Amino acid sequence: MPYHEFECSKCIPERKQHAVVKAPGEDLTSCLPKGYLNTIPGSISERGCAYCGAKHVIGTPMKDVIHLSHGPIGCTYDTWQTKRYISDNGNFQLKYTFASDVREKHIVFGAEKLLKQNILEAFAQFPEIKRMTIYQTCATALIGDDINAIAEEVMEELPDVDIFICNSPGFAGPSQSGGHHKINIAWINQKVGTVEPEITSDYVINYVGEYNIQGDQEVMQDFFKRMGIQVLSTFTGNGRYDDLRGMHKAHLNVLECARSAEYICNELRVRYGIPRLDIDGFGFEPLSQSLRKVAMFFGIEERAEAIIAEETARWKPELDWYKERLKGKKVCLWPGGSKLWHWAHVIEAEMGVKVVSVYTKFGHQGDMEKGVARCSEDTLAIDDPNELEGLEALEMLKPDIIFTGKRPGEVAKKVGVPYLNAHAYHNGPYKGYEGWVRFARDIYNAIYSPIHQLAELDISRDPIPTDKGFATQRMLSDASLPEDIRTSTTLRQYSGAYDTISPLRDKTYPTFDSRSAAAE
Amino acid sequence: MEDVTKTRVEQLIDYIMKNCLWQFHSRNWDRKRQNENIIGMTTRLLCGEPVKPETPEDKCYWVDAVCLAEAYRARHPWLATLGVDQIRELMAKLHEQLDYQTITASLNEELTDQHY
Repeated sequence: MPYHEFECSKCIPERKQHAVVKAPGEDLTSCLPKGYLNTIPGSISERGCAYCGAKHVIGTPMKDVIHLSHGPIGCTYDTWQTKRYISDNGNFQLKYTFASDVREKHIVFGAEKLLKQNILEAFAQFPEIKRMTIYQTCATALIGDDINAIAEEVMEELPDVDIFICNSPGFAGPSQSGGHHKINIAWINQKVGTVEPEITSDYVINYVGEYNIQGDQEVMQDFFKRMGIQVLSTFTGNGRYDDLRGMHKAHLNVLECARSAEYICNELRVRYGIPRLDIDGFGFEPLSQSLRKVAMFFGIEERAEAIIAEETARWKPELDWYKERLKGKKVCLWPGGSKLWHWAHVIEAEMGVKVVSVYTKFGHQGDMEKGVARCSEDTLAIDDPNELEGLEALEMLKPDIIFTGKRPGEVAKKVGVPYLNAHAYHNGPYKGYEGWVRFARDIYNAIYSPIHQLAELDISRDPIPTDKGFATQRMLSDASLPEDIRTSTTLRQYSGAYDTISPLRDKTYPTFDSRSAAAE
Repeated sequence: MEDVTKTRVEQLIDYIMKNCLWQFHSRNWDRKRQNENIIGMTTRLLCGEPVKPETPEDKCYWVDAVCLAEAYRARHPWLATLGVDQIRELMAKLHEQLDYQTITASLNEELTDQHY
């Protein structure tokens, strides 16, 4: 096994099995780090907890819901607002966060009365919202508060409300991934099948494992609507609570983030016979293949091909403008879970960069299998890295940019490595054809930002070049480009709008004859 | 395995590994079912045989198989020079190798978990 041992982790020998280098000739039978294990004591992990994985990642993107944490206020505050999972209803789920505000006296005497009072107050304050999710936290799990019983009482008193209970306290798994699992299973057990949805198309899907980061879901939904496909529910970005209760009526589950949501797809397949189709919404070619596959499933291939042709013609020249300027740039692809495999190959193929390292904070070995399979030779793959390992890897690999979360991202900036937010994005959405160009634009802006010319100088040590001005982005990026590329009239920079999502919300879509009408 | 066949199987596997997701379901039995159905249908498509999916589950295998067969034809012109028996033999070796890498010799310790 081609393990990589970090100098800084020699005092934690177990860590060695969590990093590998994909050397020439290696494949998955010889090159795979350990994964989804409890963080080793002594290693300062970048992981979240199982409560965070359930609430922040999966529960809260639901848009028409009061999301209430039963616990101390810090639990809800620290899982609020940082993910940019917007919605088309005024971002209710981002504007407000709710906690029962458990204190020491409640730990001693119980917090069930407090919880009930909070539920009633929250519904009273927001009378237009009739749905609620309640999240167990460590403290209330340990004192044994019966959240289900309280929720039942409230639903009897207020018959027009519905409440979902997520019993995933912070300690219920090695990382946030434990919470993903618990909320998937809790949702299908408690809620799926309790609403009979209205079916408006011959072609009905659940779009699963998509969280509408900066509008990703709305971009993909636009494609589906243009094909005449009904998105019955989205699990969970921009998703409606009651739509998700009707998931059992879809014809197909289209799965994007398998790490966070394959569980519910697998259960929907077993319990309701709805098949699972895994797709990649990032990158021109993977997205085109994904749209093609969904359309083929329903026998409407020509609708997908029309979209692919139109979008590719519009956006490919802009993607290629950036590709020419990003060729060979070294990338550390250090996201949370699924983006390591969503992006590992396609950013090399379509943007010309070189992925020198992939890591995952909470991925399982299955995610690393996909990531290692998709990355090229000599890539360093790390599971659940600690901050010192991250710094050592940056020193060793000298990447031009890092795609990661905001905590390790800020650390990278301090050592002069530009960072893009892989979780919440910088200027997304990044899904869709235009979104992929926006991602390329953000990479370009980060790598070639003139700020690095001054930011990396230490005024107490380095000579300051006062005799010359800034080099602009174009001076930096075009210096070594061939003349024909530099002056190309077909390639162009991103020309889209600042806000690409709002117009989608007012868009009208073509109507298609139903199959029965067409047959008559 | 002779060198030419080995190289070809490696090329075919490489495409699956870099571009597909269906081979990485989370349990052994899932992977076995996925590999068997998708590689089986892809083989029939490459051999020019009709494939008519009847159930929703079969349709899912079929869409992945159609895309895989098209990608193989586009990327590997040598496929057109092979006879039906040669394609079957090659795809059987591919199936064997894919099962080996993703199931029997996989280092993923979660594959044998009894539950999702």
